[in-house]
Amino acid sequence: MDTSIGSEYDSLREEVRAFLTANEDVAVPAGPGFGGDASQVRERTLEWQKRLFDAGYAGRTIPKRYGGAGHEPDALASLVIEEEFQSAGISLGMESQGTGMFVPTLLHFGREDQKQELIRPTMRGELIWCQGYSEPGSGSDLASLRTSAVLDGDEYVINGQKIWTSGAREADMMFALIRTEADAGKHGGISYIVLSMDTPGIDIRPLMTMTGDASFNEVFFTDVRVPATNVVGRPGQGWEVGTYTLRYERNMLGRSNATENYFDGCVDILRETGLIESPVYRDRLLKLEGRVQAMKYHQLRLLTDMLKKRDSGAGGLIVKLNNCQLNYDICALAIDGMAERGVLKRGSKHVRDYGNWQRNYMYALGLIIGGGTAQIQKNIIGERGLGLPREPKPAAA
Amino acid sequence: MDFGLTQPQELLRDSIARFLAQDVGIERVRRVMDSESGRDEAIHGQLGDQGITGLLIDMDLGGSELGMQEAAIAAQELGRAAAPVNFHSAYVLAPLMLAGADAGDRKSTLLKGIAEGSLLITPILEAPVDDGRIEGTVLYVPDAAWSDAFLLETSGSLYLVDASVSGIGITPLETVDDTRRVAEVTFSGIDLGAAESLGGSAENTRRAVQAAQIALAADALGAAQKGLHISVEYARERKQFDRIIGSFQAVKHICAEVLAEVDPVQSLLWHAADAWDGGSDEIDHLAPLLKAHATDVASNAVTMTTQVFGGMGFTHECDMHIFYKRAGYDRQMLGNPTALREEAAAVMYG
Repeated sequence: MDTSIGSEYDSLREEVRAFLTANEDVAVPAGPGFGGDASQVRERTLEWQKRLFDAGYAGRTIPKRYGGAGHEPDALASLVIEEEFQSAGISLGMESQGTGMFVPTLLHFGREDQKQELIRPTMRGELIWCQGYSEPGSGSDLASLRTSAVLDGDEYVINGQKIWTSGAREADMMFALIRTEADAGKHGGISYIVLSMDTPGIDIRPLMTMTGDASFNEVFFTDVRVPATNVVGRPGQGWEVGTYTLRYERNMLGRSNATENYFDGCVDILRETGLIESPVYRDRLLKLEGRVQAMKYHQLRLLTDMLKKRDSGAGGLIVKLNNCQLNYDICALAIDGMAERGVLKRGSKHVRDYGNWQRNYMYALGLIIGGGTAQIQKNIIGERGLGLPREPKPAAA
Repeated sequence: MDFGLTQPQELLRDSIARFLAQDVGIERVRRVMDSESGRDEAIHGQLGDQGITGLLIDMDLGGSELGMQEAAIAAQELGRAAAPVNFHSAYVLAPLMLAGADAGDRKSTLLKGIAEGSLLITPILEAPVDDGRIEGTVLYVPDAAWSDAFLLETSGSLYLVDASVSGIGITPLETVDDTRRVAEVTFSGIDLGAAESLGGSAENTRRAVQAAQIALAADALGAAQKGLHISVEYARERKQFDRIIGSFQAVKHICAEVLAEVDPVQSLLWHAADAWDGGSDEIDHLAPLLKAHATDVASNAVTMTTQVFGGMGFTHECDMHIFYKRAGYDRQMLGNPTALREEAAAVMYG
């Protein structure tokens, strides 16, 4: 077994360290220790994102002609960068709908002019995106969506409603799955359309989430006109384009280095409170540690599969399910470790770590549900990973 | 970066799996389980022929001088087959403890015998040695009823006692896992002079015990994987309500949850075996953490996959209980998960 990375990456490691030192003033911490005033947090996050992209740490493989660093995909270089950021406790940038999902999709399916126009500002955090997929009647059964677009000259006219749209009010743009052909079958008539959020006819109503943030929204479309050229891929290809993006979402929801930062934060709380001496708390902590360590090395196994261009099979399918639950359970222990202090939330006197533990505890629950619920993940693992048959379609009533 | 088994290690795994499928099938395992003694006399010689007994023994003594990664591979396959052998004791703990003994012809002869599969030595940790005498009762000793000799460890010093010397009484105990038996061993005032003193060190014994813990974790992982495999096979064939039961989410989700828990344990096992081979200090924390986590996951896995079989899962006829009990034995021996988590915590957090 060889877990070394090779001395050819030493200079990259030095370079990353130097960058982190030189940008200490803006660098955004990765664990529970970052928070405070919402607009200041947002401003600093965006500034950090710009520096990361300009230095080639965010969107590393994006071609130079779209403003990226143009590096060849190199999983080991990514690992070195992730390791250095993690040991410095610094965030590797926004894991947003735009940078994490839209850009990879556009690189794969987009037209040249779309890539030229949208990638650079998205990666620098100047264009913020939201995702218009789910509808009130179409959650886990996404392909049953009904928001429609009808071609009128060189424009689509969109009518319908999206729901659970994270960040819709802050977003400049939306990428959405919209039914453009009524008679092309359930999966066949959907197109992937990008649109500006200030287009007339869009009405946004915030939905308060359990974390206390109004980060979800309902988005209503009434005769919203967008250029027909706003389709990514071919009209009718939207299911393929949109589920390509979902693959990125599941990777995004399953990243493990934040898990280790939170685990370390949890240990700090148990040390400070003296609970680390309690056999009962130690037992809970060590149970979590077994899972954290197993997933850490599981990721190295998946990375090796990727380097060898080998299919990880079921191994890749379990990451989102495991890491979201693990993040949730780590926050739960940290909150228990705070005892009654654990009831406080952001903004309160005496709150620890800006209320991030409670927020992330609930946010992790949102992630257990979002991006394909845990139950849908188990269907996928059972069917694709273990070869179990799909549930038969119910007989027509 | 190449995390995982090397090609030779994969070949070793495949060849052990082939041998076990061919020669140590479930019918043979069941014959041993149903026998009074629980002894499979032939298996040690066969494992010797396959080189499985000598993985951790030097080449000039007839072994293959490989490492813990290879021993863990063997243990995992033996667990998957529920093979009737205490591999962790006879072929991990014993040879590794002996490796720390004072050099000499006797040590070489013993290791040669183990590598051949002709000598079964059972270690006894913290043996009742006091005032120049071996006096007392030791419980839960693997293979005791047919061991050739006992390797006694006391404060790091090793003594070999032939099983035939007078003053040793052996009472087999009834174990839940019929594939591996333990016994009570009573030493009635044997003069230490009747034992061979072999030297040894506490540090070497400590490392040997960590290796045996890794082997038990590997065995439990193999048993859990086999339990999942046969339950998924059953869920793909069995029909109820005119449907393949694996299409019911209630059944499918059991299998998916077990896979999601079991699969990452493989990576932690590879890492721990690698850390042991590399002599890393991390192993002091990792060996107990691995065994605690792996056997906890295995216990839950066999608990859940047994239920996939419905009533069949509770029968003697269905193989599932063999793997269920296998994981239970691995869980209790050389430290249960709760005790080992405390041990790992003491290393990490004081």
